[in-house]
Amino acid sequence: MAKSGRDVVIVDGVRTPFAKANSKLRALHPAELGKVALKELVNRTNLDVNLVDEVIVGNVGNPSDAVNISRVVALRAGIPQSVSAHSVHRNCASAMESITSGYDKIKAGSADVVVAGGTENMSQFPLMMGNAFVQTFEKLSMARSPIQQLTALAGLLKADLKQVVDLMTTGPFQSTPFKPRVAVVEGLTDPFVGINMGQTAEILAKEFGLSREEQDEFALRSHQKAVQAQQSKRLDAETTPVFLPPKYKEFVTQDIGPRAEQTLAQLAKLKPFFDRQYGTITVGNACPITDGAAMVLLMSREKALSLGYKPIASIRSYAFAGLEPERMGLGPVYSTPKALKKAGLTLADMGLFEINEAFAAQVLSCVKAMGSKKFAQEKLGLDQAVGEIDMEKLNVNGGAIALGHPVGATGTRLVITLMKEMQIKNVQFGLATLCIGGGQGGAVILEREQS
Amino acid sequence: MSIQESLRLVSHGPIAVLEWDLIGEKVNKLSSPIMARFREILAELKTSPYKAIIFVSKKQKIFIAGADIEEIKGLSNAMECRQVLSEAHEIFNALEDLPIPTIAAIHGACLGGGCELVMACDYRLASDAKETKIGLPEIKLGVFPGFGGCLRLPRIVGLQASLDIILQGKSVDSKKALKMGWVDECVPEQLLEKRAFALAQEIVSGKKGKQFKKYVPKTKLDSFLESFVGRRIVFSKAKKSVLSATKGFYPAPLKALEVIQKTYGCTSREKSQAIEMAGFGEVAIGPISKYLIDIFYLTESVKKQTGVPSLPDLKPKTIRRMAVLGAGTMGGGIAQLAADNQIEVRMKDITNEALALGYKAASDLWQKDLQRKKLTAFDFQRKMSLISGGLDFSGFGQMDLVVEAIVEDMEVKKKVIAETVKHCSDQCIIATNTSSLSVTEMAKAHPYPKNFVGMHFFNPVNKMPLVEVIRGPQSSDEATAAVFACAKRMGKIPVVVKDGPGFLVNRLLMPYMIEAMFILEDGMDVQTVDHWFTHKFGMPMGPYRLMDEVGLDVCLKVVKIFKKSLGDRIEIPKITEKLASSGRLGKKNGRGYYSYDEKGKEMGVDHSIYKDLGLSQPTQKLTEKEVLERGVFTMINEAALVLYEDRIVEKPDAVDLGMIMGTGFPPFRGGLLRYADSLGTKYIATELDVYAARFGKRLTTSQPLANMAKNDRKFYS
Repeated sequence: MAKSGRDVVIVDGVRTPFAKANSKLRALHPAELGKVALKELVNRTNLDVNLVDEVIVGNVGNPSDAVNISRVVALRAGIPQSVSAHSVHRNCASAMESITSGYDKIKAGSADVVVAGGTENMSQFPLMMGNAFVQTFEKLSMARSPIQQLTALAGLLKADLKQVVDLMTTGPFQSTPFKPRVAVVEGLTDPFVGINMGQTAEILAKEFGLSREEQDEFALRSHQKAVQAQQSKRLDAETTPVFLPPKYKEFVTQDIGPRAEQTLAQLAKLKPFFDRQYGTITVGNACPITDGAAMVLLMSREKALSLGYKPIASIRSYAFAGLEPERMGLGPVYSTPKALKKAGLTLADMGLFEINEAFAAQVLSCVKAMGSKKFAQEKLGLDQAVGEIDMEKLNVNGGAIALGHPVGATGTRLVITLMKEMQIKNVQFGLATLCIGGGQGGAVILEREQS
Repeated sequence: MSIQESLRLVSHGPIAVLEWDLIGEKVNKLSSPIMARFREILAELKTSPYKAIIFVSKKQKIFIAGADIEEIKGLSNAMECRQVLSEAHEIFNALEDLPIPTIAAIHGACLGGGCELVMACDYRLASDAKETKIGLPEIKLGVFPGFGGCLRLPRIVGLQASLDIILQGKSVDSKKALKMGWVDECVPEQLLEKRAFALAQEIVSGKKGKQFKKYVPKTKLDSFLESFVGRRIVFSKAKKSVLSATKGFYPAPLKALEVIQKTYGCTSREKSQAIEMAGFGEVAIGPISKYLIDIFYLTESVKKQTGVPSLPDLKPKTIRRMAVLGAGTMGGGIAQLAADNQIEVRMKDITNEALALGYKAASDLWQKDLQRKKLTAFDFQRKMSLISGGLDFSGFGQMDLVVEAIVEDMEVKKKVIAETVKHCSDQCIIATNTSSLSVTEMAKAHPYPKNFVGMHFFNPVNKMPLVEVIRGPQSSDEATAAVFACAKRMGKIPVVVKDGPGFLVNRLLMPYMIEAMFILEDGMDVQTVDHWFTHKFGMPMGPYRLMDEVGLDVCLKVVKIFKKSLGDRIEIPKITEKLASSGRLGKKNGRGYYSYDEKGKEMGVDHSIYKDLGLSQPTQKLTEKEVLERGVFTMINEAALVLYEDRIVEKPDAVDLGMIMGTGFPPFRGGLLRYADSLGTKYIATELDVYAARFGKRLTTSQPLANMAKNDRKFYS
């Protein structure tokens, strides 16, 4: 395809290490994580910050003290106050949405330089009070006379008691008016069909006949590849250290998630988490909840060239697609052919694949579904299968099972990992795709730039 | 004419507005002609039909900055003093006694005499703008409020608060002023005049009248401290803290305290004012106030300079982003200071551990401010966000300035500078923070030496006000001015110096420290000598304590560099060898002349030092005069060379500014060379020659000093 000045190129990208929730990065506000990544991106690219037209940051948890988190990230990172910034939300694909939004802006000619990325601190997802509990608080604050106050206080104590009773007598995913609401659990529960993400993966595992062993093996490979990539310093090319306030005694330089000592036997011991009796999904073959941020610098080709940049990749196309919420894990199967069609390419043209590993079962189902003509005809309305995925080209540096999945940042992480690997492997085209809670898929096709 | 115009009375029906707007001046000040004009106006008002008067300033950021400092400096005898002050008192008394209520609508700095003026008004409204500051800074100029401030402030805000303000020369913002009761209202800037008019209307309509504000204690403790017994406690505590802060070297705060003690609660205004006048006269005509005023002028003049005397209007590029090489004590300190002054800063070091220390140093300093509520959590966050770090040259392409603060090794520095240049734009200025190496030599590593200068900060960076800007032979005007301006923006006082061993400050300090080692060899003990220098001469720390602070290894290294470049004039004491092998590094390893605990707190003299240095127990055979003169005169001797032979700086005031701001040389002595002039070069030269004969030829009077002595010339002529 002929190159155009309005092609959207990625100048560079950088991310913080991803850290399993409630580990080292737990105290850092997502805006702070985003700032670290963006500041480093500005420095690595020697970017004149005055040239930025827009900052777009994906985030799922939407912290109440930084609701337009993109603006907070931008200002803290030293982007001028005159530059506009907005946040985007497409669940697990929020940080892919930020890139594709930037892509659209540049394509449309309304921007030349866009910073896109995502940030998430899942450790900081709040514990919220149940509705009935909140009402007792309201009564207390409205109480005027001492009698009213005493009654309200008694009501609060009673609610407290009920809360404890509910906590002890109901299951972890069952909500009651008094139980505290766990944002991370609610966020991972489909609000339309009412099942947890893990349960959607259970559906796929059963429908695609995936055994516990093959899922565990896939998970193990993810760890092995990630550990290998850490040891070879491959991942250092895309991460920047995070220094930990307030004492700054410690800093995180590598992802906290990949386990060098992980064995199949250990994985096999874990109990299924979502379906205790017949299930195969465990915490070992699913991705952990994670903290982290990632940022890329997008430009129109002509702008990048005029500034003397040598971009790493260009974005050939992207697509989002919808499907049944309870099978959301198959999202990539729906979005990929759409993106391929737009790019005028086939799956066979792809030299590298990044499919986000929400669950081993989910990735394996995608691979199977993409290879299935029947699935293509019945579900996608295509004549032929989407294509075969060479497992050797898939997630070559490990995936979210090992590296983690900070929901609002993963989309950008996939793109960064992919484009850097495309340079190393000298591959022309690559696919980054992920499934999206709520029943969607997203896909971005990259082309390597000569640099 | 211009005086008439400077103070305008504008009529608004029953309300008169007195506009202060000194023609031809940037600020309003109470010079004699203005005071005379003010007296006229007051006389006019006394018989006028106006019902209320509002005072406003037409200057942007100044209400009234104070009395005319030049006039204070000119006061030479008690008579003159009494005349000026009694006139001022008459005028302010007339203001206070004016039958028409007066309202001061204060926006901008309202300091010194200006503040004393508004205290004679009935109502004080202050704008909430950040430039509105109310205070009595006179003590900093070696005097104290002499237009009735010592009497009116305690009456308005109470004894404790007034001592706090007057003795430390503090100023406060309008919120604090309101809380203290110093002003009646703190009004949004844009509404100030409107509010003043509304208040004036209330006066016109008879709802309000004259007001004679008196402090009312809020708590039982405050009431007690205002009582007869409580006052004595307050005064004695205040005196103690003044003495411990000034070591008794400064007469003004003690005199102010005495005046307030005598006048507080005194019902006779005339009597009180006579006491204030007498006290003021005593301190104002003394030399210390004159010295402090000179130093004030010096620092003020730096604010107007560009660093290039031939180009007083040069506007160099603004430093928006800078990098520091090395995140250690100096690099980290410079990064913190830059970020503290809204400059984006990137630290580069060779390990993440080193970077972490840089972040920590900055964070710790701001944490303290956070705890003291000088900083909000948001400010803290914003400042921290201006600092980033990395192990490579990422971001250097956008830097306006790179300050090198790596190990003091010429070869290493040259290599790093050559490498750094490759990653920077052509306009980027590279500065070295070296304290002892040749900037000229280092510049050879830079392909465009015009963009290379020295920028020497002192340790600790956040506290020491001086920055030596070392202009190498090839440094450009632009680069020199940019670094000079950047230092100012960072809140420092820059002094441009030529390249030479130790530049200005260390060049003078080094012979002093060497002399201190000889004094030790001559049988003196560490504690006595340090005590003499601090408590008898007024240095902030004695020479041995200072060497510990600098690091004994660093001192010895610099001594060697000096020996190499200055040759025979530098004699090396024998004890340096033993000092080097004793493993004593000073404060940084807890062992020097003194010992220190883990936190770096001084634990007293380490008495094993004498044995380690091969010295017998101290014999104390030198006198205080001999010790102090050897130490100080050797600096004066060197300063003559610096000024007239090596021409490191052009003028003696640069030496004084450098020594006061860089080493804490006692300001009340006016600086090294003002002090020299007070003794006379003849005396110094004669003494030096005597010492040279007794203690070694290094103390021989230098040629330029000898020349001066011959003609009895002064440094300041």
